[in-house]
Amino acid sequence: MSDGVEYTLSELMAVAGARELKDGQIVAVGLGLPVVAAFLAKRTHAPHMTILFELGVVDPEPVAPGVGLADPRVWYRAKMLSSFADMLGTVLHRGLVDVGFLGGLEVDAYGNVNTTLLGDPKGTFRHFVGSGGANDIASLARETIIIMRHEARKLRETVAYITSPGYLAGGSSRHDAGLAGGPRRVITDKAIFGFDPDTKRMRLESIHPGTTLDEVLANLGFRPLVPRDLPTTEPPTAEQVRLIRQEIDPKGMYTG
Amino acid sequence: MKVCELSEAVASIPAGAHVALPGFAITRCAMAFAREAIRQGLRGLTISQCVGAMDGDLLVGAGVADRIIYGGGSLDRFGRLGCINRRIEDGSLKAEEYSSLSMVFRYLAGSLGLPFIPIRSLRGSDILKRLDVTAPGDHASVADPFTGEDCLVLRPLVPDVAVVQVQVADAEGNAWIYGPRWDNGEQVRAAKRAIVITERLVPTDLIRQKPEQTVIPGFRVSHVVQLPFGAHPASVYRAYDYDAEEIRRYAEAAKTAEGLRAYLDEFVFGLHDHWEYLAHIGGAERLNRLAADPILGY
Repeated sequence: MSDGVEYTLSELMAVAGARELKDGQIVAVGLGLPVVAAFLAKRTHAPHMTILFELGVVDPEPVAPGVGLADPRVWYRAKMLSSFADMLGTVLHRGLVDVGFLGGLEVDAYGNVNTTLLGDPKGTFRHFVGSGGANDIASLARETIIIMRHEARKLRETVAYITSPGYLAGGSSRHDAGLAGGPRRVITDKAIFGFDPDTKRMRLESIHPGTTLDEVLANLGFRPLVPRDLPTTEPPTAEQVRLIRQEIDPKGMYTG
Repeated sequence: MKVCELSEAVASIPAGAHVALPGFAITRCAMAFAREAIRQGLRGLTISQCVGAMDGDLLVGAGVADRIIYGGGSLDRFGRLGCINRRIEDGSLKAEEYSSLSMVFRYLAGSLGLPFIPIRSLRGSDILKRLDVTAPGDHASVADPFTGEDCLVLRPLVPDVAVVQVQVADAEGNAWIYGPRWDNGEQVRAAKRAIVITERLVPTDLIRQKPEQTVIPGFRVSHVVQLPFGAHPASVYRAYDYDAEEIRRYAEAAKTAEGLRAYLDEFVFGLHDHWEYLAHIGGAERLNRLAADPILGY
């Protein structure tokens, strides 16, 4: 692709996530692409960043990919192993988490995330993982970054169930519910979105190389704000791709 | 004497009790405990845990528990909590769903003997709206006495028993947990008593040599059970890895009521106790393959 660097869309998403992180920040992550994004940022521009897993893991350096946060592979070489009360309590609830990553079954036009159920909550539905620490991170982190596959059934005008609050109904409704912070970016495999500062509705920020605006909109369940000037997402560098493939995710478990 | 057989510890739990479970997804789950509770025909339990795990799923699937208070959960990449989700979908499980933090705050309030605990998450979400229906008496909105601001508060959780699955304990129940402890410390302190299931039973003199590693105080413990591989097929950090093949088998079985029944027939009802279970899944040869590397911890 551009500059001759070949990459997968998952790698592009991880790199876009890493770009949102700043040195010195405290970042709460779940497993999957967010872990790749956080480790990549830490090995490049943000060496003094602190990575937290909700169950009580600080700054691990795994040498093998894990099947989830419950896999001791992802706790390896941690600087501290403690508890929910410590991570989600004294760090997150205290207001010290700068960035939290979220994924989900569905996200709506205001960044509300559903990880609980699909279907009709009052009728027939299929129940999934629920919150874990996701609601807490969405409620209490200074900002959140949502990573999702770009499909119309996942990116919807409204979600079946708000597990993790974004900007709720938009405008001041999140603030009125007593919540600060809120989602900053939604990163998909076709585009990156931000949020309008007033209406809090999702707004396109950039489109990935090789994707068209029509393709982005055709695979959305809602109409986002589209600025007149729409840049192309910066592609990964050769060094970023090398780090992901050789050191961070050599088995392609999250980015394959 | 607190040290006893697993069957005796399980028999101490009356029908209808609230039991806090130690598992997190597929690690340090009280699996041998769950299998014995099913064998004994224990009924009507309420179970709770910050993140739903394989131990809770098995108890729900077998009909031992018909109420769960939890923060959501899965079997990590092995799939959904098949039994919990199926019974939520068919309406036969009373599920009170929170988040990880709100669950641990409820245990923390219980452990401190507080009347309630304020929390800043849950607000604005459908989790809270749903709790208005499933557990309307367990949260409330009050004015902060200092600022006058609206404040969401939660009722403490005080389980009748906390079961905790640990690596090392002595005969009094003073226990070391290696690795992250998720909600286990708060659960044990919130509960009226605790049952400790330990991989290794050691002399109190050894505990006294590294008392800063003691995370469960023996004076809160009623029963101590020494049981190697008591969490199998889940992992125990620095003791053994998860058994991917057996977790996959469980995840597949738990997808349907029929599958789960066949699983219970083979791995619970068909076997007399934990020793027969360990022999059935492959004995020393298989277990040796799961033994943790001392550097890696898995």
